[in-house]
Amino acid sequence: MKKKLLLVDDEVEICEFLRSFFEDRDYNVATAHSGVQALDQVEKFGPNVVLLDIQMPEMDGLTALRKIKEKYPKTKVIMVTAVETQDRIEDAMRAGADNYITKPLSLEYLEKDVQEKIESLAGA
Amino acid sequence: MFFYLRNPKTVLRKILTGLILFFLGAVTAYLTSLILPWFVDAFWGSHPFTPIFIMTIIFLVAFKPIERAVKWFLEKYFFHKKSYAQWTLTQLAEELKTNLDLQELSNLIVNTLGEILHLKTVAILASDPLRGSFEVTSAFGWPLASPRKVCLNEESPLVKMIHRTGPHVLVREPLLKTLTWQGANDLARDFDQLRAGWVIPLFVGDRLVGLLALGAYSPDTIFDKGDFQFFREFAGSVAVCLLNAQVVRGLKTENFELQDSQAEWFQKTKMSAIERLAAGIAHEVHNPLAIISGKAQVLLMQKNRTPLEPHIEDALNVIVKQTRRAADITKKLLVYSQASKAPRERVSLEKVLDDTVAVAGYQAMHDKIEITRAVDPDLPLFLGNVQELREVFLNLFLNAAEAIGSEGKIHIELRRSPEDEVIEVRFSDSGKGIAPDDLEKVFNPFFTTRHDAVGLGLFVTQQIVHRYGGAIRAESRPGEGSLFVVQLPLSKASSREADEESRQNDSVLIRNEG
Repeated sequence: MKKKLLLVDDEVEICEFLRSFFEDRDYNVATAHSGVQALDQVEKFGPNVVLLDIQMPEMDGLTALRKIKEKYPKTKVIMVTAVETQDRIEDAMRAGADNYITKPLSLEYLEKDVQEKIESLAGA
Repeated sequence: MFFYLRNPKTVLRKILTGLILFFLGAVTAYLTSLILPWFVDAFWGSHPFTPIFIMTIIFLVAFKPIERAVKWFLEKYFFHKKSYAQWTLTQLAEELKTNLDLQELSNLIVNTLGEILHLKTVAILASDPLRGSFEVTSAFGWPLASPRKVCLNEESPLVKMIHRTGPHVLVREPLLKTLTWQGANDLARDFDQLRAGWVIPLFVGDRLVGLLALGAYSPDTIFDKGDFQFFREFAGSVAVCLLNAQVVRGLKTENFELQDSQAEWFQKTKMSAIERLAAGIAHEVHNPLAIISGKAQVLLMQKNRTPLEPHIEDALNVIVKQTRRAADITKKLLVYSQASKAPRERVSLEKVLDDTVAVAGYQAMHDKIEITRAVDPDLPLFLGNVQELREVFLNLFLNAAEAIGSEGKIHIELRRSPEDEVIEVRFSDSGKGIAPDDLEKVFNPFFTTRHDAVGLGLFVTQQIVHRYGGAIRAESRPGEGSLFVVQLPLSKASSREADEESRQNDSVLIRNEG
């Protein structure tokens, strides 16, 4: 199974180092910098896993999450955000997020989690 | 003594009543002796005062109706309208003007009326303008078990009737006779609810501010319809007092509500400002930190393919570690800022302890730290927020583990102290201890003796404990170890419910948010 990963963050630098990290590990990576772009990419690129920031211009991550899950319930979405508040975690979990990870990231943990999500898709 | 306690007119009334009765007795005895001389001679002997005296006693004891008639006669023709009762009521009306407490006022009115007029029952109803209803604020002579929450609204037949008839005193029986059967039935229900024979409406201008419901008179009370005029005047004074008290109460309630909502609003905006600030800082700081740390991690993970020079690898490791430290500060700030609205539920502190040991105990075991616990088997559930309580336990645990270093003991105790209704959490360690000078500073923000720590752990712990109305203290002897004691007060409700719940269900679930 081809590992397709979409990185969504309004901080271009974050997308870039994550891209280089995951491309090194044989992932097919696309990036987006807003919620609207993210929806667009989900449509065109068809990722298995989306790493989604919350605080973004145009459309925030929670709205994007709901729309993605509505259209593509199989796509795994991991929220990757700078701010961890109980409200936000609960909102995201209720909207169908598959995990919630806060920045700064442990790349080791992130890779393991993405890998797990892809395996769970392959197994299903 | 007996006479001093009475109103002079009452004493005069008693004497007059006695004299008239004596006179009547004497006349009756005399007439009896004229008609039946043999009767007197045969039974009472020749002394003329003996039969008169005995007949008076008979009159006093056996002929109560005669006494009542005599009293009525006296009231009517000797004391006219200025009876003691009315005099007292006028005094009462004066007194009421100085009292602005609705409840006290109501109690005073019903008790005085009841006692002075020898009424079986008296109730006062005050209007509640917000609900448009009339509620009993005080009642005299009502059985204690009976519900005092009698409430009439604008649609009640009695209130409708009053709006039609105005400030006239309503007397039950004559009034019911003027109505149709259905109308009389409905109205009678209202009278019965209030245990009333009469109802005196309390008007200020056109505004009906309340009702006085008077029960049937005791048979020996002297009243006639001529007193109605007096009652209307009295009711006017009572109505004004009642209205004043209502206005004062309304102002007080509004004021309290205003204060409450101000406090609430203040708290809300204050907290959300801090929270917004903390969230803003977290966002602005965590993103650059994520980039710095991320790039360093990418380089470190490439070392398998392109080996790094040792000093570069060291530097990258330091970058990753220090960015995590910086992020910890903002995370703690965020936890602190939003904790006030953290939802509370009944939590098993033992479970929280289990979680803490599971999360943090691995490293401790690695370091040869022995962890022992003593948990009160009857420990009640605690009403709190799991996240906050975990934060408390984790900080205390990490603090103990750090004080120990690589080898030692941590003993954790959870117990209930029933006399103070608190749960005590005790963390003792065999670590290096705290210098006496530092002991009072350990809870200060950014206080730490370690070069690689932030110094917020115990501060945040203390803040959380204080939020539950609890206390935290530290005891220590340098070189021997430290003891941290947290006291969490059980709220009355939480401890009682918790007791019941833990009795019903020994295995207690807590929500696990991980």
